[in-house]
Amino acid sequence: MKAIVFIIFLCNTFMSVTYATDIIVNPSVPEYTVSLNKTRAIFTMRQRFWTNGEKIKVFTLADDHPIHQLFTKNNLHMFPHQLRRVWDRIVFSGIGRVPIVVGSEEEMLETIANTPNAIGYLSSEFKNEKVRLFISK
Amino acid sequence: MKKFDYLFLNKLLVLLFGGVMSVQVPADTWYDDIAVHGFATQDFFHTSDNNVYGESDDGISPGLTEIGLNLSYQPFDRLNLSVQGLYRRAGKVDGGVVRLDYGIADLNLLRLENGRVGIRGGRVKIPFGLYNETRDVAFTNPTIILPQGIYFDRSRSLLVSADGGSLYADYSTEYGYIGFKFNLGMPLGDNEEILSTILGPSATGKFEANPAFATQLNYELNGGEYVFAVSYMDLKLDYKPSANDFIGAGNTKIRPLLFSAQYNGEKFGLTAEYLYRWNYYSDYEVMPDFNFVSESWYVQGSYRFLPKLQGIVRYDAFSSNIDDRSGNRLEANGLPSHMAYAKDWMAGLRWDITSSWMVRAEYHRVHGTAWLAHSDNLDSSATKQDWDLYALQLSYRF
Repeated sequence: MKAIVFIIFLCNTFMSVTYATDIIVNPSVPEYTVSLNKTRAIFTMRQRFWTNGEKIKVFTLADDHPIHQLFTKNNLHMFPHQLRRVWDRIVFSGIGRVPIVVGSEEEMLETIANTPNAIGYLSSEFKNEKVRLFISK
Repeated sequence: MKKFDYLFLNKLLVLLFGGVMSVQVPADTWYDDIAVHGFATQDFFHTSDNNVYGESDDGISPGLTEIGLNLSYQPFDRLNLSVQGLYRRAGKVDGGVVRLDYGIADLNLLRLENGRVGIRGGRVKIPFGLYNETRDVAFTNPTIILPQGIYFDRSRSLLVSADGGSLYADYSTEYGYIGFKFNLGMPLGDNEEILSTILGPSATGKFEANPAFATQLNYELNGGEYVFAVSYMDLKLDYKPSANDFIGAGNTKIRPLLFSAQYNGEKFGLTAEYLYRWNYYSDYEVMPDFNFVSESWYVQGSYRFLPKLQGIVRYDAFSSNIDDRSGNRLEANGLPSHMAYAKDWMAGLRWDITSSWMVRAEYHRVHGTAWLAHSDNLDSSATKQDWDLYALQLSYRF
């Protein structure tokens, strides 16, 4: 019995650490399935417009936020320092814009829900009908 | 007339932004199209012999300070405006002034499904190797002192930015990202350090830059896990002698070709760059025309012990003339032979305290003096061949 309780405890601990992350968009964003390559192009600010011609608004959490680190690995198959390298080159050589940083997952949800053409990400626990899941294959 | 202008402007603003504001979405007002970023860095140096960034020999020099502030504004979807001011104080080479580092109007000409083509005009950063475009931003550099055989600090003003334009294109495919830049413009370099580097300390005239081009092709695989680049530049400087100048008029052409490769793993990183540079001295009244080739390369490995703690090791070699690697010709002209080369072993540790604050320290063991700044070492006969360099850096960004 003790062993079973211990196993359940272990599973719980493990699950709470390795939760998944989802890319979310404002409902105004056209529905389509994109490749990993396109998703990376959006978050590295190389793809600047949605298929309907509207400008993409990208939001992220801070580099050292655990959800940001999970998102870069799970959803972009990259490391946070690779994204940082690309963004820094853009900002400090004056060749474009970088994502806007929001302070928390709650703020991320509110911002994506209220900003047309916005894209961001959340841990999968955060479900809300005001935003839509973005399907990246 | 003035009043009319004012009213017109007001109407225009209401017309442009009124629609957006009336939607009552707080996250979508016009000022969201403005972004401001900046950085501030202070370095400290100590050397066993020879001076870097001020009087570092047997002392501690706080001789390198870099502060930058940039602003970018997107008035229309296809147009981005950006400007960066840079304050830089570097030993006796740079006394500390604020300059316009870049001022760019970026127009997107062609929007493809997976790529784009555009032009940038104004004062544009020069693409060269992996680090040149952001060389003054400590956070983007692997070490406090960049490999000096390639990223010379003393002749940096030729390399930093140029007034002109740039054509760019990039394309993302399943097989990686390809980027291309072709820049044409007037480099900003006419300072004394470049003059003494190229013509020696006794030159009293002035260098005038001609329009130059710089081009770069880069290829990135798997979101930047592997990065490859080829860069090429063509610079020409006309020498305008002063009165009673024994050197006389002439010109110098510098054509560097640089190959870059980088691996960015989760913990391990490996970087190498190889430079082959043609130098042409022509039409100088005092000497026959001559050409020579300079060469430099480095290999750099880094390891993240912890997400915020990174160790780095590098070996960097430079030969100012590959036909005279040991400097015999310099010695024949009364200069120390070790001015012909520099071989630099370095090791360093970087700690990213937060995403805004970073501190790091590094040690260099240098054999040779080829990249020492003349302004900090006026008597070249007093420089030493083998020397140690210690550096400490504190940097902030937002």
